[in-house]
Amino acid sequence: MSTYTLSRATKQTHKPGENPWSVSRMVALLILAFLAATWLVPFAWAVLTSLKSEADAGASNLSLSPPDGFSFDAYRKVLSAGDIPAWAWNSLITSAAITFITVATSALAGYAFSRMDFRGRRWLYAAIIAAIIIPPQLLIVPLFRQMLAFDLVDTYWGIILPQAFAPAMVLILKRFFDQIPVELEDAARVDGANRLRVFWSIVLPLSRPILAAVAIFVFIGAWNNFLWPFIVTTDAQLMTLPVGLQTVKSAYGLQYAQNMASAILAALPLVAVFLFFQRQIIKGIATTGFGGQ
Amino acid sequence: MASMDRPFSRRRLLAGAAALAGGGTLLGCAPSASRSADELSYWHLMSGGDGIVMAGLVDAVNASNAGSGAGFKATQTVLAWGPPYYTKLAMASAGGRAPDVAVMHASRIAGYAPGGLLEPWDLDLLAEVGIHERDFPPLVWQKGQYDGKLYSIALDTHPFVLYYNTSHADKAGVTDALHSMNSPEGFTEVATKLQKVTGKHGLSYGYLGDGSQMWRLFYTLYRQQGAEMKLVPGQQAQVDEAAAVKALTFVRSLLNDTIATRSGDGGTATSEFLHGESGMFFGGVWELPVLKASKLPFDAMPIPALFGTQAAYADSHTFVLPRQSEVSAERRRHTYQLVAEILKRSVSWAGAGHIPAYQPVIKSSEYQALKPQSNYAGIPAYVNYDPDAWFGGAGSDFHRYFAENVQNVYLGSGDPAAGFDGFVKRLNVLLDRPQPV
Amino acid sequence: MSTAIDSPAATTPVVAEGKLKARRGETLTGWAFAAPFAVLFVLFLVVPAVYGLYLSFTGETLTGANSGVIGFANYAEAFQDPDLWRSLGNTIWFTVLSTVPLVVLSLAFALLVNLGLPGRWLWRLSFFMPYLLASTVVVLFWAWMYNPKIGLINGVLAEFGIAPVAWLQDPNVAMFSVVITTLWWTIGFNFLLYLAALQNIPEQQFEAAAIDGAGKWRQLFAIVIPQLAPTTALIVTLQLLASLKVFDQIYMLTNGGPAGSTRSIVQYIYESGFTGYRFGYSSAISYLFFAIIVLVSLAQYRLLNRRSGR
Repeated sequence: MSTYTLSRATKQTHKPGENPWSVSRMVALLILAFLAATWLVPFAWAVLTSLKSEADAGASNLSLSPPDGFSFDAYRKVLSAGDIPAWAWNSLITSAAITFITVATSALAGYAFSRMDFRGRRWLYAAIIAAIIIPPQLLIVPLFRQMLAFDLVDTYWGIILPQAFAPAMVLILKRFFDQIPVELEDAARVDGANRLRVFWSIVLPLSRPILAAVAIFVFIGAWNNFLWPFIVTTDAQLMTLPVGLQTVKSAYGLQYAQNMASAILAALPLVAVFLFFQRQIIKGIATTGFGGQ
Repeated sequence: MASMDRPFSRRRLLAGAAALAGGGTLLGCAPSASRSADELSYWHLMSGGDGIVMAGLVDAVNASNAGSGAGFKATQTVLAWGPPYYTKLAMASAGGRAPDVAVMHASRIAGYAPGGLLEPWDLDLLAEVGIHERDFPPLVWQKGQYDGKLYSIALDTHPFVLYYNTSHADKAGVTDALHSMNSPEGFTEVATKLQKVTGKHGLSYGYLGDGSQMWRLFYTLYRQQGAEMKLVPGQQAQVDEAAAVKALTFVRSLLNDTIATRSGDGGTATSEFLHGESGMFFGGVWELPVLKASKLPFDAMPIPALFGTQAAYADSHTFVLPRQSEVSAERRRHTYQLVAEILKRSVSWAGAGHIPAYQPVIKSSEYQALKPQSNYAGIPAYVNYDPDAWFGGAGSDFHRYFAENVQNVYLGSGDPAAGFDGFVKRLNVLLDRPQPV
Repeated sequence: MSTAIDSPAATTPVVAEGKLKARRGETLTGWAFAAPFAVLFVLFLVVPAVYGLYLSFTGETLTGANSGVIGFANYAEAFQDPDLWRSLGNTIWFTVLSTVPLVVLSLAFALLVNLGLPGRWLWRLSFFMPYLLASTVVVLFWAWMYNPKIGLINGVLAEFGIAPVAWLQDPNVAMFSVVITTLWWTIGFNFLLYLAALQNIPEQQFEAAAIDGAGKWRQLFAIVIPQLAPTTALIVTLQLLASLKVFDQIYMLTNGGPAGSTRSIVQYIYESGFTGYRFGYSSAISYLFFAIIVLVSLAQYRLLNRRSGR
């Protein structure tokens, strides 16, 4: 289940010998266009609002040509207030660290489970499978207590460590490694290479696509995670982007244009990355999907 | 060949550990790690009109410091009003990395002080920055005390008051009656006359889905009967059921879709009064800026004593010192200075409707000239705060439980006695539990 | 870690010297590879899970008051706590309301996109992009859409002469609003999984069916949907688990209101623990809820196994 999509994701699907312009296909196209447009409305409305003046944004008509015209004022104000760049930096640092640690530890552990028969292996493996159904949300209270004890509340490490491992990713990688023929490694081992060298120079290069998929999936999850960073940070300077946007309010009341500008700015990094790497990301999600949520 | 793995994996572990340690130094430079003694962090929950005034106060204090060379700068962080703010504040205190000073409703002190989440104020240091007990109304100062120590210093008192439309009142000929009415019947009569003038409603009162708003009017009327409410952990709630039923019955009689709409929420009530569709409006003093911004001819006054005793639900914004694991004496001193400076400038806070707690401000001619603020400046002398309880206070579960049991009564479908009993039962469950702070 | 590495060797039954060495070596290497993961796993999952279980039997609070063991008192209280049952009911209601459209509509979207109509990347982008947004951003967008006075939705309704709806303020409507937002936000994930699965249905099957004269709709129900059964099972499982632990969008859109009509169980856990300070009670609710999740998972596992065994 985990790898089948890699080979076929880009295939054209309309069947040969079928009229591509039949009436039913046109109807389907209209429905599709309508649905897609509906799905894009919240984005479009947010972008539109963010380009208006506060007075126009707060006015109750749906005018597409506001009296004050369009400008980037809201973005300028939001950026100069300084919180958003700081939060984005926090998000970037913590998400990158979470991704790196998760991929590295999952790959090493997945390889161990795939190739080595070590004492306690079965116990650990069973524990990992069992852990997949434990929602992290249920651990917030004991974890917060633990973070207090470790003095990690309001630190980057406090945000990172509880998110920096993923039992499901270990399983995904183990299954992938299982499919790599052992003979490739045996040859190298006969030549005297140890496990780590085999892993590094033979297994990892073969696993690049799956590692990228796992990394993408983990990064998106970490970048967007709300509950844990929300609990472990109280210092406004240390918050990640989603937490800061939600927690810290403007002293000046509701400012719709600036609100939407902040939301767009927060959405931009991942959407931009997605536009550039659409195919890889889609493959990645489809491949690692079942580790999701 | 297997034995060859060992040295390598050890080396790998070491390398890994080193990498982690290296990453650790990078990740260790968290932005706020090095705050100097001059930079104070200040949390509050005021946005909108209140927020603008508060931001102005902080800016003014910072600017005057920059001029005088006293050398501290306060940075404000604004969090969402209610549970989100109080939850974060408690968590920050529990973590020991709390802000230097924070705003807290006086009604919340009972939920924070016992658990060691707050530090008491040092009266000597306060005197040094010019803040003394004699500068505050006794009831307001007293509310900041817990267990013989002072945990909060009030910035203001913000009661629930009565606004009325002066032009409607003139037309209905009730201007004098508004000030002289002293019975529920008197109030109903005035409201009915006003209703005839507006053709819509006599009174606006929004409460739907808002337990605090339901509680404010109820508690005012309840206390006007001389009734008390005491919540002592481990005991049954001490309440005056007859008074409660009387208050609820009266509120329900007003919400009859003629005098006032049966199911109004806050927004509807405000906009109804603003558009001249009612003659009176029950609201907090914090509604004042919105009303002033309109061209509406209106005035404000304390809710008249309809049941014999003068009483008014109110709360206070106060300054507290959340517990910090590392306290520097110098920062503390700056914090005291900051609070003193804000208090001394709090006449601008009165612009947001609140009654400043610092009496030199109240006595100033500048404040006395503020209308309608000075009309209700006498309330702090008899103010009624929420009963002390760890689960009580502004935006707390206490208000929510009130709503859950009493909203039906307000809506006209529930029995007053049954609704109040349900509320008391809920309180008893909470009082029966060990106090979590 | 050293004990974990040493102890297996000490308890290994007597075997030939060479084999013992190999075995020890493998154990050492194995653990060396698994250790970084295992350390994090134990520290941040096993320890809090066990510690949480302990907390659930204590009166522990945020401030450290009443930390004594109180046996099953928290659990006993939970069973009689109307707020808990209410939020559990809300959670199940949300799960039902969200899972059905999130599975059915995502399949419909995938089928439409899979027809091979032009503009395929655009459709994919439109449906999937919201999934990349943080919950906070999603909520900012939708709170703005739902704004009762100046929101887009009520504005459009007004154009058609429809009275404004209090999307997030009306207890009878708020949950549906939350579901609509959730649908918009997360459908892209299920959609992608379906799309990937659709492309793996062997073409020969359609050709055979076409030869048999089966129309498009018949092919859909006779071939496509049965072929997708494993994917559907996977999606339903993931969706149920995801919906049961809903928190972000509800907390931010309605904060559980109005009048508690949307408070989810995870929010109740958060509020009991951090707003109400009661770590012990909050942990007890977590464990009760975990029991429900285990039951759901087991029920599903059995159901799926019976299906596939048929």
